[in-house]
Amino acid sequence: MPTRRLIRRFLDLSLRRKLILSFLAVISMGGVLTLIIGTRLEHNTIISLAEAKVWHDLASARMVYQVRLSGISDIVRLSAAQEFLREGLRSGRSESLIPKLDEIRREFGLDILTLTDGRGRVVVRSRSPEIFGDDQSRDPFLVRALQGQIAAGIQIVVRDELLKEGSDLAERSYFKFVPTPMAAERAEDHEENGMMLKAAAPVLGEGGAPLGVLYGGLLFNRNYELVDRVKDIVFKGEKYKGHDIGTATLFQDDLRISTNVLDDKGNRAVGTRVSREVNEAVLRRGEPYLGRAFVVTAWYITAYEPIRDIEGRIIGMLYVGMLEKPYIDLRNRVMATFAGLAGLCTLFLLGLLSFVARQITRPLAVMVEATDKIARGDLSHRIQIEGRDEIGQLAQEFNLMTEDLHEAREDLSQWGRTLERRVEERTRQLRETQDQLIRSEKLASLGKMAAGVAHEINNPLTSILIHTHLLLEQDDDRAGVRESLMLIADETARCAQIVNGLLDFARLTPSQSIPSDINDIIERTLQLLEKQAAVRNIRIEKKLDPSLPPIDLDKNKIQQVFSNLTINACEAMPGGGMLIVTSRLSRDGTGLEIVFSDTGVGIPKDNIPKLFDPFFTTKSFGTGLGLAVSYGIIRQRGGTIVVQSEVERGATFTIRIPLAVSNEESEREGGEP
Amino acid sequence: MTNPAKKRILVVDDEATVCRSIRQALLCEEYEIDIAMSGEEALRMAENKDYEVMVVDLMMPGLSGLDLLRSIKAKNSSARIIMVTGYPTMKNTLRAMQIGAFDFLPKPFLPSDLRKIVAKALAARDEEKGESGASG
Repeated sequence: MPTRRLIRRFLDLSLRRKLILSFLAVISMGGVLTLIIGTRLEHNTIISLAEAKVWHDLASARMVYQVRLSGISDIVRLSAAQEFLREGLRSGRSESLIPKLDEIRREFGLDILTLTDGRGRVVVRSRSPEIFGDDQSRDPFLVRALQGQIAAGIQIVVRDELLKEGSDLAERSYFKFVPTPMAAERAEDHEENGMMLKAAAPVLGEGGAPLGVLYGGLLFNRNYELVDRVKDIVFKGEKYKGHDIGTATLFQDDLRISTNVLDDKGNRAVGTRVSREVNEAVLRRGEPYLGRAFVVTAWYITAYEPIRDIEGRIIGMLYVGMLEKPYIDLRNRVMATFAGLAGLCTLFLLGLLSFVARQITRPLAVMVEATDKIARGDLSHRIQIEGRDEIGQLAQEFNLMTEDLHEAREDLSQWGRTLERRVEERTRQLRETQDQLIRSEKLASLGKMAAGVAHEINNPLTSILIHTHLLLEQDDDRAGVRESLMLIADETARCAQIVNGLLDFARLTPSQSIPSDINDIIERTLQLLEKQAAVRNIRIEKKLDPSLPPIDLDKNKIQQVFSNLTINACEAMPGGGMLIVTSRLSRDGTGLEIVFSDTGVGIPKDNIPKLFDPFFTTKSFGTGLGLAVSYGIIRQRGGTIVVQSEVERGATFTIRIPLAVSNEESEREGGEP
Repeated sequence: MTNPAKKRILVVDDEATVCRSIRQALLCEEYEIDIAMSGEEALRMAENKDYEVMVVDLMMPGLSGLDLLRSIKAKNSSARIIMVTGYPTMKNTLRAMQIGAFDFLPKPFLPSDLRKIVAKALAARDEEKGESGASG
């Protein structure tokens, strides 16, 4: 369905284009309609004006020839009343009349002036005096004149009569038809008769009886006086682009016998014939014709009317015409002006329209853009539209909505961030707690085991020790016995010591916390060990923050921890090195941090998690309880020990002790097995 | 009351070896040393015999050392009780002292140390006896 597709394509267009197209359609329709109506109106107006003028001009032309006719009639009538005519007729001395009549004929421009006697026989022909005596009594003019009337009118004069009146007249009347494209068919190919303006008046004797008749006439054929006068009088000889605007023609039947219409060679277009259409209307039906007609070489606005002879027969036509071209040009000019104005109007309207459309659609485009941005997540975007129309209100609402959305998202993301942080924090704490729990659990169960083991071992040790000493007391002098007994006693004592260490770890005797200066504890610990360290080529650097607050601690236990870490550090630097001991306030201000950082061999990654496990040791000596005990002590105080180390790069032990003594600080002394 | 001149000492420990070792360490003319292998046994023996000194192991199945100590003390006995343990903790030590133990000796110990403490305990008892005897 092309229509449907067209409609869909229209609907898919941008709003602005839709608006413009719709308006454009309205404007174009209006324009075209106006143009059509305007053209019609203007054409009708101009053409009907022109036709009215031509119609009027035709009447003027008729007047011209009627004036001429009445002129002829007057001349003939007045001449007929002259005494010399009566005298001449009565006396029969016709020769004497010739010069006088010829004089009158010439003076008034007549072609013929002829006198007959009372029976209609020609007495004098002023133009051709040698021919006379012929009977003209059947001529309708003479019939009327012989009855005492004055007759005036137009008449077709046959060639024979013309020959009698003057051979030159017959010659003037002769036309060979010029082939004319739109003319009606005719059997003849020439015209030999003439058309004459003619008047006849009786020469009355005493008593009123006609003595004779005087008739005069003007042959129209090739006589241009009349048509040129029409042109001069009616059209003032106006020309348009070298052509006469106004033209007049006399037709004998459909043949141009006198005209100022020119053919393409510039000659008067006599001998040509009228178009069939005009022929039909005017000659056959006897109606006047008004309208466009193609005359010889160009289109004219024309008016024709029939010319009737004295007996009422149509014998020819009178025509006036105005060149259509000036009117067409005028019409075209007007139309062009009109179209130009219409075009300008359309252009102006289009401009206005596109401006208006832009005014309407621009805010929408801005909104579309804004929606786009917001859809892509830019919630800080605001629409800059002023005005209080619907779009302005929409924009305001939109901005409010966006702001709400923005806030909501901010809240959400803020919440999300907080949540994330909290989850992280909690996860970390949980992991730490879990680690510590695992370690504590491990330590606790180990403590219980240690207690049990210690108890069980101490019993046999007691027996061994007692009996060994009892034997020693017996002063056995046998060689080697005493040494052996001493060795047994010593080794038993050593066993007891190991078990004691184990018990120390398991027991963790209750703390006796007093407010202490952590730096003082560090100083005292290091004082004891510095000498040993110096021997081993180890430098100990202290970076102690003097402004640290006092903290509740069991000095002896903490000193044991510091001592353990210092000894461990020294043992990790067999070739010498540096130990840096730092004390500081923790970053969050809730605890103290004591850092032991050495430049020793470091701890392999795999060993770090096992570092605080009891009995874990990499040394060939030692019980593997030092760090475990240290860890236990710090845990007991609610603190932590964290190790960072890289092999060959040294190790850093960070002890963190909270300033406040926490509730969970337990006196884990180990249960009874 | 077999031999009034001798000091009566009761050694209480769930381990026979330990009991024998302690008796061995204390064995001499002046002392009459009995052995009990449990708290209950010790309590029965104390009913029949007035001991001057008791060496009691803290941890024993059944009636524990502390229980025994408490029972003896409840009977207003004049026996001096020395607690020994293979697992000495501050808590137990303190509790024992509170209840009225004469001293606390962690295992393993030297026979000489044990003898010293027992002697001290006997001396303290004698002193008290003398005083009470003089007065009453």
